[in-house]
Amino acid sequence: MEIKKTAIAGTLESSDIQVTVSKGNDGIKIDLTSDVKERFGKNIVKTIEEIVNKFGIENINIKAVDQGALDCVIKARTITAIQRSLGTSEEPDWEVL
Amino acid sequence: MNNLELRNLNLKDPDQFEQWSAFLKSLGIGNFSSVETDPLDGTIGLFENNQLIATGSYAGNILKYIAVCNKSSNNGALFNRVISELLNILAQKDIFHVLVFTKPKYCKSFEQVGFSLIVKSDDAAFLETGDQSITSYLADLPKFKDTEKIGAIVMNANPFTNGHRYLIEQAAKNSDHVYVFVVSTDKSLFTTKERTEMIKAGTKDLDNVVVVPGGDYLVSYATFPAYFLSYENDKIVYQTTIDALVFKQWIAKQLSISTRYLGTEPESRTTKIYNEVLEEILPPDVQVNVIPRLCDDNNGEIVSARTVRLAIANDEIAKIKALVPPTTYDFIIKNKQVLQDRIKKGMKISGN
Amino acid sequence: MTFKKDRLRRTMMFVPGNNAGMLKDAGIYGADSIMFDLEDSVSLAEKDSARNLVYEALTTVDYGDAELVVRTNGLDTDFFEADVKAMVKAGIDVIRIPKTENAGMVKEMEDLVIAAEKQFGIPVGQTHLMAAIESAEGVLNVPEIAKASDRMIGVALSAEDYTTDLQTHRYPDGKELEFARNMIINAARAAGIAAFDTVYTDVDNTQGLINETEYIHELGYDGKSVINPRQIPVINKVFAPTKAQIENAKNVITAIENARLAGSGVIAMGGQMVDRPVALRAERVMKLAKASGLVDKGGHYIGK
Repeated sequence: MEIKKTAIAGTLESSDIQVTVSKGNDGIKIDLTSDVKERFGKNIVKTIEEIVNKFGIENINIKAVDQGALDCVIKARTITAIQRSLGTSEEPDWEVL
Repeated sequence: MNNLELRNLNLKDPDQFEQWSAFLKSLGIGNFSSVETDPLDGTIGLFENNQLIATGSYAGNILKYIAVCNKSSNNGALFNRVISELLNILAQKDIFHVLVFTKPKYCKSFEQVGFSLIVKSDDAAFLETGDQSITSYLADLPKFKDTEKIGAIVMNANPFTNGHRYLIEQAAKNSDHVYVFVVSTDKSLFTTKERTEMIKAGTKDLDNVVVVPGGDYLVSYATFPAYFLSYENDKIVYQTTIDALVFKQWIAKQLSISTRYLGTEPESRTTKIYNEVLEEILPPDVQVNVIPRLCDDNNGEIVSARTVRLAIANDEIAKIKALVPPTTYDFIIKNKQVLQDRIKKGMKISGN
Repeated sequence: MTFKKDRLRRTMMFVPGNNAGMLKDAGIYGADSIMFDLEDSVSLAEKDSARNLVYEALTTVDYGDAELVVRTNGLDTDFFEADVKAMVKAGIDVIRIPKTENAGMVKEMEDLVIAAEKQFGIPVGQTHLMAAIESAEGVLNVPEIAKASDRMIGVALSAEDYTTDLQTHRYPDGKELEFARNMIINAARAAGIAAFDTVYTDVDNTQGLINETEYIHELGYDGKSVINPRQIPVINKVFAPTKAQIENAKNVITAIENARLAGSGVIAMGGQMVDRPVALRAERVMKLAKASGLVDKGGHYIGK
């Protein structure tokens, strides 16, 4: 699977995370902004990577702006951004959810 | 936060404009000249009990008039909400690279929501977010060895004249390589694509010249609106300072540019100030080399793109031939009607 | 999520489906049911985002004993199919059908739910349904709607759209809703399912909420929809049984127990026969008393 189109999901409100996915050419690159980056940065990145891997995407640039999101929110926003990029929002890949 | 109501504001409506501007004035934002407000594509407001407590606008990919009631206990949350809503609105328009030009004291707030600082002066800061950055912009440009002598010119070339050609020739003579940055903002009579193609066609014989886009970073509508619209002098200084800093701290640095070439500017007030600011800020890191403008052999007047545009508007195409390279002339002949239609539809030709 | 058909449903709290913060905290306010909304509170551009967010929340966040309900987008929208599939896959307790007009719409939803249950290996029958009644047509058809499927657990009045359809609006005295409220409670009881009243939108008017809740409690409703967690304790208080009701219920239950121990088929209390409705009411009173914190685990009255 390949990301061609930039897409964004989520918000900058408390407990949420804003995820922007765009075309990449150098593996999975994640740029994270978070107040809790030192403590939870690794976990957030790992959660995002797991979703990307489930979609079978090899090259992608991700910008994530975290406002203290739970794991399930990180997953949901990443899935939504990727679905929007792939144009599959209304016919989701049910194996990924 | 839950009782907040988000509304789109219509600033053309006098009542809404009044409420909006009164709110901004109460927060010390007082410039509502039409040159600032006309380009706005949209404005949102957050209301609590019908009171406007936060607002933000956008023009193209630039955020403007971001303001949050400072009496509110949760102004951080309100700020995030406004930025979030604006970014989502822009995303629906397929705009993902977003810029903001703000006061240095607000840098932190923007950085907390994912913006990166590009440059900061004493009274302004320029930040960006999204799927592109100045780093990715620079990564896409051709690179040369930093031991070589590398020059740069920024031009709008609206259209590309013998004057532009002369400036490039002078730079090419004195350099191993010359970057010609074409203004990317599409607000001129000739489109960005047309201007770029004219420059490429008119410099094809110069092997050491490379024509590249200026992106959102050089003489862009984001940092330097005065290039496209009429502003007061102090605003021009403020804007061009940011433009000069971006060139010095990012572009020249990353591309090992040692000299910026400028043409003398006897006519345009804005460009004159721009040149002065560049001469003040760029050295010693980057030398500024001001080349006297090429003059028309027939009447001794300097060759200017503005003269060419006026001739197109007045249907005096014969006057143009002596002022532009054959490639530009061919283009104008071929597209005369289209260009004249654009002027008739209101495209301004008197500025830059 | 453990579904119980016969349970307390005093409050059903609306949670906007795309609000991460509210989704996270929805379980802490003690609502009997939590209704995640994918419909009106979510803008068109965010339908996909809300669906994924509610899906992930349902499969990870612990909402305690609350019954979990989701309001999908309408059967006539582009979002509806993916909504239903995702929610069934997440194992939702109840799907709330918006703008239900007739039994056919319940059937249509049921067919899609069955297909989704099969697709995702969910036990067929696990996903329940409820219908929101939001129009005159819906009110007139509520008896058939309430009985349209074995999966139905309740019907709910949604007054904003309904009053618009009637060409009126909400009044403080609620007279405009009288017919609909009576239709719905009777249809619900005839079908053996729950009846939910509409939201009380003026969140700052506590007395108004108390008055309206007392009224629908009197009509026989199971509970109300709420839009602000602050309304939950107010409504619960109206539904709390009195000390006398609790004592009477305890006596009924003791009488039943005595009869069982004596092997007697006839239950008598104070010389009067205790029939099935009396026994059921006593059980319900005790359930309410426990939920309201008025009796301890042993059944001792601990209210003031």
